[in-house]
Amino acid sequence: MKVESTEVDGRKIFTVRAFNQGIASWLERLPTVWVEGEVTELRRQDRWASVFFTLKDPESGACLAVQMPRGLFDGLRLGLVDGERVHVFGRPELYEQRGDFHLRALSIERYGLGAHLAALERLKQKLAAEGLFAADRKRRLPRIPRLIGLVTGNDAAAKRDVLTAITARFPPANVLVAETYVQGPRAAPAIIAAIAELCARGADVLVLARGGGSFEDLLPFSDEQLVRAVATCPVPVVSAVGHEQDTPLVDLAADVRASTPSVAGRLVVPDLAELQAWLERAHTGLERSARRVCERHAERLSSAHDRLRRAPALALERRRARLEATHGRLRTLSPRATLERGYAIVRAGEHLVREPPAAGTGLAVEVAGGVFGARAE
Amino acid sequence: MSEPTFEETQAELERVVERLERGEVGLEELAKLWERGEELYRRCAAQLAGAQGKIEELARRLDAPPPETPQ
Repeated sequence: MKVESTEVDGRKIFTVRAFNQGIASWLERLPTVWVEGEVTELRRQDRWASVFFTLKDPESGACLAVQMPRGLFDGLRLGLVDGERVHVFGRPELYEQRGDFHLRALSIERYGLGAHLAALERLKQKLAAEGLFAADRKRRLPRIPRLIGLVTGNDAAAKRDVLTAITARFPPANVLVAETYVQGPRAAPAIIAAIAELCARGADVLVLARGGGSFEDLLPFSDEQLVRAVATCPVPVVSAVGHEQDTPLVDLAADVRASTPSVAGRLVVPDLAELQAWLERAHTGLERSARRVCERHAERLSSAHDRLRRAPALALERRRARLEATHGRLRTLSPRATLERGYAIVRAGEHLVREPPAAGTGLAVEVAGGVFGARAE
Repeated sequence: MSEPTFEETQAELERVVERLERGEVGLEELAKLWERGEELYRRCAAQLAGAQGKIEELARRLDAPPPETPQ
């Protein structure tokens, strides 16, 4: 292809477009090759004609943009995810409009598990075997924290989400924010230092918040030293790193894992309104039950007093009744009742007559109406 | 001993109310429990009504972090 140029003052000049065209046509003559690297930042959308990702050399960190027609990519049915190591067959290409260089992929073959993922998996197994992720290590969050330590990047969204959630739910909360690196090689040591400093300043619960990012962006949150620092942190740690599907190892070591920074904010403070309602209920309960106990004592006292007052009269009455009963029984035993029925008592002198007496004996006969004399015949 | 946390105060208040609700307390104990309960209530309320919380930033280090790259 012929590249147009103009001559100005003896200088050969190309337009940007012509220059790019020239480079592009030169690149096209290069052979197709296989390139090995790790897939990162894979971006695929149904409405896009191409699938994009970055091929990364895990050792040197060198990067190469890769594009592949979506139909071709889908046809491979590889189900690639970030972090996997692959061989890409393709040729270099220039997007003329922007001057962007990339590898145009014609085929992709999976090549083992991504070095990072494999290393992460090994680290995860090792830390799990040490018991760092064990459920019985998880500590309960304070119901009302004195000071919340927030470790975050200067990513406005994550920080704002945590703070908004905290202050909306519990306005009296105190928060100490440590802004730090949250990606790149300096992140892990910076976060470890921030954790230590927040603890030294008296934080009794920590929140680690970071918005979503690429696999590499979140790598510091799987750093062994950081994971250990979180697991052995003197106060409970809530992690809210990346999105739901990302599981950096720090999530496993944290005492509580929050799906988003807002959720983390809500987890570390109580609901003030609920707490106040509880307190008022407790207060009412205190007064009511104290009053009830008082009343119960008063009732018992007044009933005892009543019984005491009635006791002497009651005792007298009971005695009188007993006397009447005895008297009744006594009366039934007296012979008078028998005389009333028509019987008579016959006496001869002092003695009751039980045998027919000798004739001529003077007798005294007692009947109900009185006594009269008689003589035996 | 350090100042009891809100949680400890709250738990003790709960226990006091429960004991009173069961009602098996003598008069002298009732007076003591009630006073204790009131004191716990006042303490909790004071903590909740405390001043508006503070949000502070740790002093930035000289090598302030660079802005995060957009994802």
